[in-house]
Amino acid sequence: MSFDTIIYEKTGSVAYVTLNRPHKLNAYNVQMRDDLYEVLGAIRDDPEVLVAVLKAAGDKAFCAGADLSEFLTAPSPVIAREVRWERDVWGRFLNIPQPVIAALHGFVLGSGLEMALCCDIRVASEDCHFGLPETLLGIIPAAGGTQTLPRMIGKGKALEMLLTGARLNAAEALQSGLVNLVVPRQDLYATAEKIARSIAALDPLAVRATKEAVSRGMDLGLAEGIRLESQLSANLKCARRGPRPASGP
Amino acid sequence: MPVVAPAFDIEQETALITIGEAVSGQEMFSFLGEAAERVNYQPDIRVAVLRGSGTSFCVAEDDDTPGLAATVASIAKPVIGCIHGNALGAALEIALACDLRFSAGTSRLGLTQLGRGAMPQNGGTQRLPRLVGRGKALHMLYSSQVIGAAEARTIGLLSGVFPIDRLYPEVIALAHKMAAMAPYSLRFAKEAVIKGMDLTMDQGLRLEADLYFLMQTTADRVEGITSYLKKKTPHFEGK
Repeated sequence: MSFDTIIYEKTGSVAYVTLNRPHKLNAYNVQMRDDLYEVLGAIRDDPEVLVAVLKAAGDKAFCAGADLSEFLTAPSPVIAREVRWERDVWGRFLNIPQPVIAALHGFVLGSGLEMALCCDIRVASEDCHFGLPETLLGIIPAAGGTQTLPRMIGKGKALEMLLTGARLNAAEALQSGLVNLVVPRQDLYATAEKIARSIAALDPLAVRATKEAVSRGMDLGLAEGIRLESQLSANLKCARRGPRPASGP
Repeated sequence: MPVVAPAFDIEQETALITIGEAVSGQEMFSFLGEAAERVNYQPDIRVAVLRGSGTSFCVAEDDDTPGLAATVASIAKPVIGCIHGNALGAALEIALACDLRFSAGTSRLGLTQLGRGAMPQNGGTQRLPRLVGRGKALHMLYSSQVIGAAEARTIGLLSGVFPIDRLYPEVIALAHKMAAMAPYSLRFAKEAVIKGMDLTMDQGLRLEADLYFLMQTTADRVEGITSYLKKKTPHFEGK
């Protein structure tokens, strides 16, 4: 599969998604939205893919945000809103059944950070800088950041970043729970690879069920979440047991 | 103890709400109610700073007037809590209703009601765990734990800590910086986060999208984006 702004590769059970607009700091534009939508669909529908790794090309930035040169061109807010839901990239990303690991370097800003927040595990290099600068530009995040960021690092820290334009460096991101690990830049991809391989070695159905239990469970009260977990666990046992032979004389 | 009257001042589109000392809970409630309404409805106010006078952040620790924190939480524009003394009991509950909290290095914070055989009734049992997690919140509640500013910062209860003589200038500087940002960006980002946390992820994403598209009817959005592309400083008028 080949795309204008993304490189998609598969090695065995691991899929690699590489943002590929390094001359523009991988700024998220309409083409990248369409490419990402396709790639995410391909991952979702491919039973061979057990884990995905999201990374980016170029030296300076994972993704410095949305491509503002394309802004101010929507015919009307009503139509812009229709287009948003016609191809729900962020809904698709958040509902990918396989675990996704983000390997982050350099600037991770705006939609770049929002993309990273759609992933399940985030590994960052020591040179990372994280921020949501939308409110400095007279807009608000539109790729889920107002929802995913507080759920990840808490309301207090999220509001601080959103309302003041505050940025986090790698150490602060680690301390606040925004990223899982911080490593030297030269170890970034090897670290992400190691995590991906270790997850790919686990029972795939158990992995999917666990991701679903955690992600969907966070939308539920505790009692309902526990019921969801029991249900998924029972389904898993059924699936393992396979079809029962018909009983008969 | 002399009564220090509450005060409401506006400077550079920032409302400075100074909670008086030794005023009754009822007077506090009236004052905060009026202050919240002014912040919400006056277009010349974009950010609010809430601070105490005298020795503590605000209200007596054992104040049991309900509705104080809810009044602060009803403000749709950003609210910064500026805690120069201690914030204990109801005072901390009011601080928890702010969006950001800064304190002096010497400040101490805690929900102390259980130690007196009472319980929080200004939202502390709801806002504290949502901010610092269930484990830490229950620990603080059960032991009436009073923690120092540094620990409060580490657990996410505070956004920053300053030496006492730097606290107010730093908070005001931040408030002024925020007052220069696009007012609708701040209001809608606040709404998306706070209302969104009570929704499922899907519903929250829809809220965010609706607010985002609503912003496409504002002049400030055009100003922000074109200024960025022209590498100029934006001037947001709140339109």
